[in-house]
Amino acid sequence: MLKAAPADSSALISRSPGYWATVWRRFRRDPVAVGALAVILLLLFLAILAPWVAPQDPYYGVTLRRLRPPGTDGYPLGTDELGRDMLSRLIYGARLSLFMGVTPVFLALIVGSVIGMTAGYVGGLVNTLLMRTIDVFFAFPSVLLAIALSGALGAGIANGLISLTVVFIPPIARVAESVTTGVRSRDYVEAARASGAGAFSIIRHHVLGNVLGPIFVYGMSLIAVSMILASGLSFLGLGVKPPEPEWGLMLNTLRTAIYTQPLLCALPGVMIFLTSISFNMLTDGLRSAMDIKA
Amino acid sequence: MPADTAMPAPAAEINSGHRLLEVTSLVKHFPIKSGLFGRAGAVVRAVDGVSFAVDAGETLGIVGESGCGKSTTARLIMHLIAPDSGSVRLFGKAAGTLDLPMKTYRSRVQMVFQDSYASLNPRMTIEDSIAYGPMVHGVGSGEAIRRARQLLDRVGLDPARFAGRYPHELSGGQRQRVNIARALALEPRMLLLDEAVSALDKSVEAQVLNLLLDLKEEFGLTYIFISHDLEVVRFMADRVMVMYLGRVAEIGPTEALYTDCRHPYTQALLGSLLSMDPDRRTETAPLAGDPPNPIDPPSGCRFHTRCAFAEAMCSSRTPALEATNPGHEAACHMTDLASGHSKARQHSQEAAR
Repeated sequence: MLKAAPADSSALISRSPGYWATVWRRFRRDPVAVGALAVILLLLFLAILAPWVAPQDPYYGVTLRRLRPPGTDGYPLGTDELGRDMLSRLIYGARLSLFMGVTPVFLALIVGSVIGMTAGYVGGLVNTLLMRTIDVFFAFPSVLLAIALSGALGAGIANGLISLTVVFIPPIARVAESVTTGVRSRDYVEAARASGAGAFSIIRHHVLGNVLGPIFVYGMSLIAVSMILASGLSFLGLGVKPPEPEWGLMLNTLRTAIYTQPLLCALPGVMIFLTSISFNMLTDGLRSAMDIKA
Repeated sequence: MPADTAMPAPAAEINSGHRLLEVTSLVKHFPIKSGLFGRAGAVVRAVDGVSFAVDAGETLGIVGESGCGKSTTARLIMHLIAPDSGSVRLFGKAAGTLDLPMKTYRSRVQMVFQDSYASLNPRMTIEDSIAYGPMVHGVGSGEAIRRARQLLDRVGLDPARFAGRYPHELSGGQRQRVNIARALALEPRMLLLDEAVSALDKSVEAQVLNLLLDLKEEFGLTYIFISHDLEVVRFMADRVMVMYLGRVAEIGPTEALYTDCRHPYTQALLGSLLSMDPDRRTETAPLAGDPPNPIDPPSGCRFHTRCAFAEAMCSSRTPALEATNPGHEAACHMTDLASGHSKARQHSQEAAR
């Protein structure tokens, strides 16, 4: 705070908290959103510290102790169909599941924002070409597109990531385009042009700051979708392969035991549900915190 | 006109009172897209052949109803949109040429927009917004911020209180002061004020108008003052231009135009003013209805559909701007003896009086 002040009276200038500081202050007043953030941070924490937190090796199974119900001695959440500790597998599963949820959205945010912002800022023919191409992807339901792409590319984590990224580029590009078009026609962009600034300077100083927030929030809401789609791909055998612990895949392999151990089968689903609803609540909270009116 | 230097000394520009800005036959038609492939057919004739000149140091007021092309003219002068034809020349030079690069032009001519909130970046502090222009023109950030604070002080906002604030924390009047400071940061010769005070309440409006007059004096500025408020224009302007449906209806010195206007449209506009003097009742009937659609403007004189004096010839022949007195021009057949309009004579007799 107390940096060496320039020659004049900068130290005396009263500063307002910046935009993001204000957003954070508003966000903190929303208990649901803060709770969701806490859940996500906890999951992230568990995923990162899995080797230290998990009580057992998630790959080591004892065939004699298969499908034990939750609460069994030594296995607080029971064992799966190969006798592996469910708790450890769920903790390790958070790694892959979160990775598969966040990475495609992150990649799609980069590609989609560039496409959408270019289309929105340049406008005209460029806009038409880019956005009509993007529209082609909307012709396919997202689940179908992800399955088709993964199926064509072959099963595996990398191909799953690629297909999910492709699925998320169109909606992000469309949001980026509409937000950028809105900002571009604002008077402050006109005023910047009138002061002789070039396109890159205007984008850097006036467009990015006003556009990235909404795009980012939209991207957050896609993380839940991405997680569910990734789990779906794994469930269909197109994403993660056994014996890797991943919630969608666990749901798949445990489904044969649904009549004998229904509670056990539901556990990976509960994790998916908890994570995606937390991301949705977090997004909702952020969105209303960012909606600052004059 | 000195053609030797790219940028003559400011003092020389102001003192001589010579031509600063010259607008010649400016035309801007906006195509209306219809159908899937944007078939270009109909156009909105927003500005349709507008010519005028502004002398250094004066204030030209532009008035007219909504949709008459005032703001489009301002945006054309600012080169925010490209004209279909016609030219804008500053010191006799067209912007975007070697003589006068666009960037230089934009530091000489600046604009203040109507919407004080929309014209400030909500994510930038006030001082950053003001300093942005100079920094674009290569001024160092420390110097730009210093200049921004000086200007804030000059427009009546204490830098210690306001420099670090964000636009949404300010009132409309304060924001418009910031916008004026932002426009002045590039040390322009001319300021385009597009309805700059229209959104402010009356007391604040008066303060900002007085500030504008002071700044004009101090920095030797030239204003183009666009407004729909005739009283404000009378207060501010040396000369007034009346626009109707993308054309100039009348242009002349403020007092002459307000007391002895030549165009029936100007009469009607002035008739809509409330008289402050109970002995001088407003007698002219105010204009009825909306202006005709600029997509398909009336033939001949564009005002003939609403004009009390319209005759058959008005719908077939387009009146040209004719001087009625030195420096006072109107585009009406009644000011032209040779036009054949039955009232033409009366008007010229009045002029002779």
